[in-house]
Amino acid sequence: MASRSRAPRAYRIAPWRRLRRIVLLATAICLVPAGVSYLENITEPHEVGFGVASVEWMRGHGGNGIVSQIENWYYTLTAPSKGGPTLGSLPAVGVAGGTGPGGASRPYRPPRIEPLIHPALPGEGVWRPAAAHAGPEPPVLLTTFRSDPEYPQFVAGVAWIDSRRTRLAYVPGLAEPPEISNRGPAEVPPARRRSLVATFNGGFPLETSNAGLVYRGHTVETMVNGIATLVEYRDGRGDIVRWEHGANPGPRVWFAKQNLPPIIYGGRLNPNLSDGPEWGETVNNAVRVWRSGLGIDRRGNLIYAVANDQTVGSLAEILERAGAVRALELDINEDWVSFISYRGRGAADPSNLLPDILRPPSRYLTPDERDFFAVYARGRW
Amino acid sequence: MARARRITPGAEARRALLVDVLAAIALAVLALSLAAGLGVVGFFALPLLVLGLLWIGGERLLGGIRSRSS
Repeated sequence: MASRSRAPRAYRIAPWRRLRRIVLLATAICLVPAGVSYLENITEPHEVGFGVASVEWMRGHGGNGIVSQIENWYYTLTAPSKGGPTLGSLPAVGVAGGTGPGGASRPYRPPRIEPLIHPALPGEGVWRPAAAHAGPEPPVLLTTFRSDPEYPQFVAGVAWIDSRRTRLAYVPGLAEPPEISNRGPAEVPPARRRSLVATFNGGFPLETSNAGLVYRGHTVETMVNGIATLVEYRDGRGDIVRWEHGANPGPRVWFAKQNLPPIIYGGRLNPNLSDGPEWGETVNNAVRVWRSGLGIDRRGNLIYAVANDQTVGSLAEILERAGAVRALELDINEDWVSFISYRGRGAADPSNLLPDILRPPSRYLTPDERDFFAVYARGRW
Repeated sequence: MARARRITPGAEARRALLVDVLAAIALAVLALSLAAGLGVVGFFALPLLVLGLLWIGGERLLGGIRSRSS
């Protein structure tokens, strides 16, 4: 039996292996707080899918630039091609009982949106009441039209909201705005559903809009000059303005929601619609995605527009064609745009403005993550 | 003159591991404090860790195959 004692071998590890070990240990340590935060977020109840909730967590935790860059690449690679066959029909919107332009003895009705593609399809640009029981003065009218001759399959949905017959309300969501007192139910309050005529999505989240918010007269986020602002005053009058009143909203403002610079102002398209950095920290202005916007016509009535595959510029053109003289972009992407009208009393029979809007028509009748606007009929309904 | 203490390879390995762990903690603290948020940290750290573990796993697998074939 061999009795020769063997000297222990010296410990040897290559420097690059140690460096690799340090880096991997550091990444594992970093993932602990990130993982805890992510799991806390993802296990909360969400109305959106796992993927969207994960992306939103990332956006909200410093990753907005990364997400936006990936979205830009994705949407650029999957951009629609120009041309192709035109549509044979448009999706049906609203209820029967078309309404023509108002005459001397009739209340004002907006003129038909002149079709861009000829021959026009049946009902193209023709306003129809949103609700079955609206009577001779429906507070909300709906229509659709093909918005771009170069892309004959694009369809824009447009809603006209009579400011004399409606009142707008801002409703905070469960998670947006993030910091707010008196958040409310994050859905249309059941007690107010009797007079509900429509709901639509809000603007960008505060974190990505870098803009202000006033809710019930209190500043939630400091107002920013030069930004397009949907404002409602305490007397119930609504407007879309370019904010020039500084940080203090003043006593007359009931709510004010800002989002990016105006896309239409003084009856003209913003000349900087092709200037990327102006249009927020999300996907850039030229990327074609679901987009929504809100305008106001010469008489102070609101005009909401939504369509897939739009740039900031083409969305502005839709609103301009529908009669808007001032307008702002609202939220974008398929997960966030919604315009819902209620065809029956008491929020019954909700219907999306366009059939391919992703979120269900019941969206705002249950708590929603994002803020939104509710349109209530004034007076008897 | 004091005689140099003999350090066993095992002790030397543990000492190196301790130094590496301390360096990793310092690196992680630096990354967490410099990053824009936990989302950015997670976005880069998770694939890095997965790739690193696959690398180590691949190495061990190849080493095992080599030792069995020799």
